[in-house]
Amino acid sequence: MQESAYFDKYAPIDGVWDEMYGPNSKIRDHYRKVIEYVSRESADDLNRKEELAKRLFMSQGITFTVYNSGEGIEKIFPFDIIPRIITASEWAFVEKGIKQRLTALNLFLKDIYNNQFIVKDGIVPIDIIYSCPHFLREMYQLQVPHDIYIHISGIDLIRDHDGTFYVLEDNLRTPSGVSYMLENREITKRLFPDLLPQCGVRSVTEYPTILYKNLLAISPRQVSNPTIVLLSPGIYNSAYFEHTTLARLMGVELVEGRDLVVNNHKVYMKTTTGLQQVDVIYRRVDDDYLDPLVFNPGSMLGVAGIMGAYRKGNVAIVNAIGNGVADDKAVYAYVPDMIKYYLNEEPILKNVPTFQLGNRDERDQVFKDINKMVIKKTNGSGGYGMLMGHAATEQEIDEYKIEVMKDPRNFIAQPTISLSAAPCYMQGELTPRRIDLRPYALYGPDGIEIVPGGLTRVALKEGSLVVNSSQGGGSKDTWVLS
Amino acid sequence: MLSRVAASFYWLSRYIERSDGMLRMLKINYASSQDTVQEFTWDPVIRIFAGLDDVESSKLENDSRAVLKYMVTGKTNGNSVLNIITLARENARGVQEHITKDLWQCLNEYYHTIKDPKIERALQREDPIGVLDVLIKQVMLYYGTVEITMERGEGRSFMNIGKYLERAIQSVDILDTKFGWIDDNPDVLTDTTYWKHLLLSLGGYELYLKTYREGFEAENVLEQVALNNDFPRSVIYSVNNIQRYFERLKNDSNIDDFRDLSFQIGRLQSRIKYSSVRSIGDEGLHTFLSQIRGELYGIGNRLNEYYFAHS
Repeated sequence: MQESAYFDKYAPIDGVWDEMYGPNSKIRDHYRKVIEYVSRESADDLNRKEELAKRLFMSQGITFTVYNSGEGIEKIFPFDIIPRIITASEWAFVEKGIKQRLTALNLFLKDIYNNQFIVKDGIVPIDIIYSCPHFLREMYQLQVPHDIYIHISGIDLIRDHDGTFYVLEDNLRTPSGVSYMLENREITKRLFPDLLPQCGVRSVTEYPTILYKNLLAISPRQVSNPTIVLLSPGIYNSAYFEHTTLARLMGVELVEGRDLVVNNHKVYMKTTTGLQQVDVIYRRVDDDYLDPLVFNPGSMLGVAGIMGAYRKGNVAIVNAIGNGVADDKAVYAYVPDMIKYYLNEEPILKNVPTFQLGNRDERDQVFKDINKMVIKKTNGSGGYGMLMGHAATEQEIDEYKIEVMKDPRNFIAQPTISLSAAPCYMQGELTPRRIDLRPYALYGPDGIEIVPGGLTRVALKEGSLVVNSSQGGGSKDTWVLS
Repeated sequence: MLSRVAASFYWLSRYIERSDGMLRMLKINYASSQDTVQEFTWDPVIRIFAGLDDVESSKLENDSRAVLKYMVTGKTNGNSVLNIITLARENARGVQEHITKDLWQCLNEYYHTIKDPKIERALQREDPIGVLDVLIKQVMLYYGTVEITMERGEGRSFMNIGKYLERAIQSVDILDTKFGWIDDNPDVLTDTTYWKHLLLSLGGYELYLKTYREGFEAENVLEQVALNNDFPRSVIYSVNNIQRYFERLKNDSNIDDFRDLSFQIGRLQSRIKYSSVRSIGDEGLHTFLSQIRGELYGIGNRLNEYYFAHS
């Protein structure tokens, strides 16, 4: 049956869940309006929209700098103009699942840095915890405000061939990309006038308001106007644009490590009228660089003595320090058990089956089926240091095995999950590309709130399963329908 | 306001003002190099804006295109327009949430304009005045955008202090170099085009014609550039404005620092205000200018110490 010019040429990938292409060669209902809208536009019109999107990103300086032969070249994070659409019922499920998961992970962090009941009860093995480089003894018995560790998180979700959601990764340290969720929406408003309200797309603009409300609520000092700052590594950081955007949207001061000083276990910022006490720090600096007196002594990005102020309870730090032990890839395998242990509930969102290469039997099994496996470093991120078994050569596999054997604890393996696909606009037609989804959850004293939307990353290379921006990935606006 | 933010405002503004002064100076000197029978020398310009020693300077001084390349798009020259605009933009990037979006985009555009390889090519092959005009227009856009969009707060005071401090230092340097040149080349004392070009490069030619009827006299030029309250590039005008914007920073929490610096600025202001061409002549122009320059640097250092937390 004739649906539309773009749709008729669309060739879905075999054995992959397609977000738009339904059974019987039909457009899924929630994509219908968008495809109809797009079909009324000629390829020239769509090319112009694509150009407009690029120009908007460039002129607003939403760029990252690539250093090449001594000269900085400004690039934009690729953006695909066709939105990714999530239905109300899918979203309700995802939202419920993430809330459950985060509640358990937050309890886990509190437990692991205090009584360690979960270890004593034999649910999570102790060696996995103590061998994790992000498990910080400095956090032991440190009381964090309202027992909240994971104020901001980004949970990466993928969909298998039958459309089931799986959690691929929990990002509980300093997840980035939320500014793209906000900016992509602003751009879509310009590209497709009137389409958003017609489709009933839920707004994402509340994000900075909720975050600000949560930051305000955890101030240790009971004053009417606490000082909240966003601590950035500075203008050379690739996410600097995101830092300024969030600071601007929340109306908080953007600071660098050199703007802060600790005196008598209190943190101050240096202003033109003297020192001003800081109450809440939303930091975008990694644990390791936060305090040169406690962690990496060579760090120029941190503030000497900040850990002391934190321990005394004079300053709140967001996210809490030491969260890395909960999003470690080896600990990931135990999250379903945590949910059962702490909440006495069945996990709503599934984990991808995970093999610990530190365990001999599992390692042998993985090496036997290596062509069907993805092997990852437990503390890696950004898509670096991965082995995609189905695409690797003999030699690559052998070299990787040697690397694994040096310290097997640092590696896990997962069966290759075929990510779902969504239509992308490329050279005049719609073609399917693989996507994932990262919703952003905000955990405050009033509970967990998830802004309806998120960052959809897309592997723009044909056949690729890696969506990371460092590996040729781009992004899409993400719509949650009401 | 964060000290770092204040410092970025101040430096952003200094760099832009410097680029303006340089571009105008280069434009007039280039025009003048096309209008002379003797070999034209760029030595004074190089001395004012590039800080090269005699040997390096002598390699460049007679080659207009080479000087333009070095001063505008030169990558090795730390003080080239390209490099100082890059610095200005970095300062602006660090305070992006404190400046208006318009201003950020304006600076971004200035930066992308000067980074464009076409500029460098045109500077070498086409009419350099056209190129310099394009860049000067970018500076004017910047000043217009600041005027129209920036809030009248502490940040703008620091911007203005930076701007006028830079301008005062430039005018002092220009006077010192141009008048010092006479010692070695006494002929220029009576050379009308020499003074005319000096005034043109400071944008003070028309005012001069209106003020003085007796042609170009070195003493009148000195009076206008150092002491005329109505000439926007004069030393006294700049210092008056430093004083004006500094007074707005008065705040009870650091009153001692404020008083100290306020005293220093007031002393400098009086020193210039109660000088005349004759009194300057009596003590020696170079001595006078050196002293003013020293005071201006001193103000910069105190700002660093008291307000930018760089002790």
